[in-house]
Amino acid sequence: MKKNKLNKVIIAAICIYLVLPLLLTFVYSIFSEWKSVLPEGPTLKFYVHLFSDTGFLLPILRTFIISVVPVIICTILILLAMYVITVHLPWLDKYMQILCTIPYAIQGIILAIGVLSLYSGLPEPLSNRIVMLILTYCIVVLPYLYRGIKNSLNSINAALLLETAQVLGSSRFHAFFAIIVPNIVPGISVSVMLSVSILFGDFVIVNIIAGSYYTTAQIYLYRLLFESGQTSSAVVCILFALTLLMTNGALSLYSRLNKKLLVEKEE
Amino acid sequence: MSKKPKGFFYLLALLPFLVLVVFYEIIPLLTVVFRSFISETGSITLDNYIAIFSKRLYRQAVVNSIILSAVSTLVGIIIAFFGAKAAHGSTQKLRNFFMGILNMTSNFAGLPLAFSYIILMGNVGVLVVFGKQFGIGFLADFNLYSLNGLILTYIYFQIPLATLLLIPVMDGLRPEWKEVVNLMSGSNLDYWFRVAVPNILPSVLGTTSVLFANAIAAYATAYALLQNNYSLLPIRISEQFVGDLVQRKEFGSALAVILMVLMILASLISNGISKRRKGERA
Repeated sequence: MKKNKLNKVIIAAICIYLVLPLLLTFVYSIFSEWKSVLPEGPTLKFYVHLFSDTGFLLPILRTFIISVVPVIICTILILLAMYVITVHLPWLDKYMQILCTIPYAIQGIILAIGVLSLYSGLPEPLSNRIVMLILTYCIVVLPYLYRGIKNSLNSINAALLLETAQVLGSSRFHAFFAIIVPNIVPGISVSVMLSVSILFGDFVIVNIIAGSYYTTAQIYLYRLLFESGQTSSAVVCILFALTLLMTNGALSLYSRLNKKLLVEKEE
Repeated sequence: MSKKPKGFFYLLALLPFLVLVVFYEIIPLLTVVFRSFISETGSITLDNYIAIFSKRLYRQAVVNSIILSAVSTLVGIIIAFFGAKAAHGSTQKLRNFFMGILNMTSNFAGLPLAFSYIILMGNVGVLVVFGKQFGIGFLADFNLYSLNGLILTYIYFQIPLATLLLIPVMDGLRPEWKEVVNLMSGSNLDYWFRVAVPNILPSVLGTTSVLFANAIAAYATAYALLQNNYSLLPIRISEQFVGDLVQRKEFGSALAVILMVLMILASLISNGISKRRKGERA
């Protein structure tokens, strides 16, 4: 009984420690002044101002574009490569796995300076900052997307499905993209959303490669830090809420899928 | 014979992926390594590395980065250990709540985290004002824009990650083991030091190296707090490639290689210790 209490105290202490900065940032954003111990003058003006300011809404839109496009490109490229490997050259699987795991180990900053220093002096479109950013982002999300796609292929037993389709007279290309891919879309969507949320929160890579070319929400926030405390705290809260929506969307999707699979298996 | 080109047609589907990986992962990585051994005049040299260790500014960056990462990792893993132990021993409901908080706050890093700490502990931060009002010295005098401030913010982002990684490790400890130790009249300390710790040590060390790598390459939090005014490896690296200073790609590449070597070392050390432990037991 005593031990149970100790556990509760430890968990409560850690939770308070972790939630406090978030909570105070939120409180800070809904008061017009916080100069003494307690904040004064509750207001929503910072949020109202932000949501009517294109200077904030445009960066948010840009962040969504730059987070979604690389994930789409990367997913398509992995699927095409997976088609070749699953159907024609299974022995390459090992090497693909290594290539897709390397970005885990090299951190964003090293990848960013590597790409920037390699292509910045070259002609367009190689030296175009947006192109550089999108393709670097593709590498960043590669491990997550690869894992998601690979696990989904394993879970539907792709090899068996392909064989069946072939016996029934379908071509292998057609079988892969008309039968396998639609079947793994639900499984992939989880890692897709996770990848989008990772890119959504990136500051390192965009600041190094395209800081002055493409103002994302994070770059906008960085510039704002030196101007207005209250507005910055409102931006922090909005960005955090958006990230939570994405990751929780992914998690709830995942648990719903698992439940569905269980039900199907039981049936 | 006419069948052959058609037979290899499928390789075209592999091509875009290969182009992406080769040109934006492999070549940039190799360029960084090769360039670090090139002098500004184009000859092969070790000067870039010698410069890092002979100039105070850069030696300081290496030392600061190691201290910051080691301390934040150590504190993070200790707190996470007790957190995971508590989660392991509590009800499912409390545990789910705890995991929810950890998952949520693990998204809170980088710029937003730095900003939140500026509000809390900065020069006119809420807690600093609070400390001044009530005469709590360490709050009133806390300087966020220093190594201590960095350590504090880094610990914050280490805890959720470390706890989330350690909870499944703790779940690997079976309750029967403890019963057996108690049956053989061993104490709780016996159980922890002779059974539990040796069992979870490899995973704990693995988590430690993940945390260390996570901290040593972190950039956004430190950059938001101190811009280029504090010597840390990631900040000195990016400075050589972007910004107001004269760009020195070769030197910056050498710094980047040092950063990679430190991350590899951390994982080798943790692997090495856990292997030796296994050897002892065998």
